[in-house]
Amino acid sequence: MELHWHWLVVIYLFLGGLGAGAYITSFLAEKGFLGKAPSLTRAGYFIATPAVAIGTLMLVFDLGQGFWKPWLMIGLLSNFTSVMSWGVYILSAFILAGFLKCYFAFKNKKAPELLTWAGAFLALCTAAYTGFLISVIKAIPFWNSNIIPVLFVVSALSTGLSATSLLAPLLEKGTYHEGRANQLHLLLVVVEIIVAASFIMVMLNGSNGPIGTESAKLLISGKYQIVFWGLFIVLGLVLPAFIYLQQILSQIKKTGDIPQNITANDVGSAVLAEAAASSKIYGAHSPLMIIGDTGVIIGGFALRMLIVFAALPVWDGFSIY
Amino acid sequence: MFKKFDSRISRRDALKLGVLVTAALGMGLPLSLLTKSAVAQDLGTEQLAFLFDQKKCIGCKLCESACRSANQEARDEQVKWRRVLDNGGDEGEGHFLSISCNHCADPACLTVCPVTAYTKRQDGIVVHNAEKCVGCGYCMYACPYHAPQLSKKTKRVTKCHFCYSRQDQGQQPACVEACPKKALTYGKLSELKKAPGGVATLKGLPSPTITNPSWVIIPKE
Ligand code: SF4
Ligand code: SF4
Ligand code: SF4
Repeated sequence: MELHWHWLVVIYLFLGGLGAGAYITSFLAEKGFLGKAPSLTRAGYFIATPAVAIGTLMLVFDLGQGFWKPWLMIGLLSNFTSVMSWGVYILSAFILAGFLKCYFAFKNKKAPELLTWAGAFLALCTAAYTGFLISVIKAIPFWNSNIIPVLFVVSALSTGLSATSLLAPLLEKGTYHEGRANQLHLLLVVVEIIVAASFIMVMLNGSNGPIGTESAKLLISGKYQIVFWGLFIVLGLVLPAFIYLQQILSQIKKTGDIPQNITANDVGSAVLAEAAASSKIYGAHSPLMIIGDTGVIIGGFALRMLIVFAALPVWDGFSIY
Repeated sequence: MFKKFDSRISRRDALKLGVLVTAALGMGLPLSLLTKSAVAQDLGTEQLAFLFDQKKCIGCKLCESACRSANQEARDEQVKWRRVLDNGGDEGEGHFLSISCNHCADPACLTVCPVTAYTKRQDGIVVHNAEKCVGCGYCMYACPYHAPQLSKKTKRVTKCHFCYSRQDQGQQPACVEACPKKALTYGKLSELKKAPGGVATLKGLPSPTITNPSWVIIPKE
C-alpha cells in the first residue's frame, strides 16, 4: 500500500518548526534572556510568519481534491479530535500574531505585551504541533512516540536560532552582537543529541515493536544512513556543537569575561565597551558560525525527511502468513 | 437590485416552493422513520462486523469483484475496497485473507480526519464522505488496515462502507452475498465473537488494540 506523504510534508514540518523557533529566538533576545543580543531581537520576527506561511502552503499543495476545490478546506476546522485540525487553528493564529509582531518590529515600535507573549505561546504550540501531528499515529510505530514532539521542539528552536543568527548580521549592520546565543545554541544541540539518541535507542530495542526497529535500522544502517550520519548527526549536530563551543571559549578568552555574567539590566559604558570589544571580534557572523548555523538548518531538514521517509506502517497491507 | 430580486419570486412561486417543501418533508419523514426502524429491527444499534473463516476460503476473489460491481466508487483502478490476500502457499497450504474496512470501535480514520469526512453510524458502520474529503492522506497513515485508499483520478480517498445502503434495504453486503463458500459472513459483533476459534488478528497483522476492529477471523491451522 502506498502512503503518499513526501517532500512537501517534509518542508511543511521543517518550516513550521523553523518559523516557530525563529520567533522564540527573537522573543528570548527581546526579553533579555540571551544577554545583550540586540541584533537578534528582530530578525526572528521577520522569518517566523513567512516560513510558517510557506510551509502551510506546501501542505495545501499536497492536498488531493481539496487543492482543486479550495472551498472544501473550510472543513479543516471541523474535527476537534484531529490534530491536523488543531494545527490549522494554531498555524493560522501564529501566522497572524507573527505578522503583527513583525510589523511592529519592522517599524521599530514596541508591540503590545499581550501580542508578544501570545506569539511566543503560539510559536511553542506550532513547534510542538509538528511533532504531535505524526506522534499520534499509532499505525506508524516509528512515529508513535512521545519523544517525537520533544525532538521536534528542540530542533525547531535550534533551526530557528540558526536562521535568525544568519539573517541578523545582514539586517543589523553595525550593531551586530551575539550575546549569549552561542551558549543557548550549544545547549540546544547537546540536548538534541541526547533526545535523538534516546529516540533511536527506544526504537532499536523494540519498545515500539519490530516495525519501529526496522524503521530505525533504515536510518542507522539502511537506505538513509548517509543522510542520518552525514547530514543529521555530523553536519547538523556534532560539527555545530564544536563550533559553538569554540566560539564560547574564544569569546571568554578575548573579552576576558564569561558572557553569561552580562545581565539584561546592564546599562551604560560597561555594556558599550563590551559591545565594542566583541563587535571587533564578531563584526559579522564569522565564517565558522555560518558553517555551524547552515549545518544546523540542513540537519533540521534532514531530521524531518528521515522521520517522514522512514515511516513504515505497522502492517504493509498485503503480507499474511 | 433588491427590488428586482424580490419581484422575481412571485407569490405563486413561493406557494409552489412551500408545497414542495411540505411534500418533501411529508414524504421524507415517514420514509426515513421507516428505514430507520427497519434497521433497528434487523440489526439494531449494535456494532456490525464481518466474520472471515479462513478454513473455508478458497481464494476465488468473487467477494472482491462483487464489491467492485456493487460500488461505483470502488471501480477505480487504484482502489480496492475489499482485497483477497494470500501467503503464496502451495495448493492446499495457501492461506487467504479477505479484508476490507473493519468498521472499528475506535476508528483512527475518524479521529484524525481534519474535515470530519468520517462518521460512525448507530450500527457501527464507518462511512466516508468523499465529497468532503480534501485528500490530505492523514487517514491513510492512521488506519492500520489500509482501508482508506487514495484514487489518483479523483484525488480523494474512498473506503468500504459495508454496503450500508444495501443493508438499509434489507440486502446483504455484496461481498458476503457473492461468497460461494460462506467464508465471509456478517452480523452483530457480539454474536460473531461467539464463533469457536474466532480471533481479532492474525500473525503479522496489526494489534487489535490500535483501533479495536470489528471483525472476527477463524484462522486455518
Ligand atoms: S479499518 Fe481503518 S478505515 Fe476502517 S474504521 Fe478501522 S481505522 Fe477506519
Ligand atoms: S484524506 Fe480525506 S478522508 Fe482522509 S483524513 Fe484527509 S480529508 Fe479525511
Ligand atoms: S468470495 Fe469467499 S471464498 Fe472467495 S475469496 Fe472471497 S471470502 Fe474467499
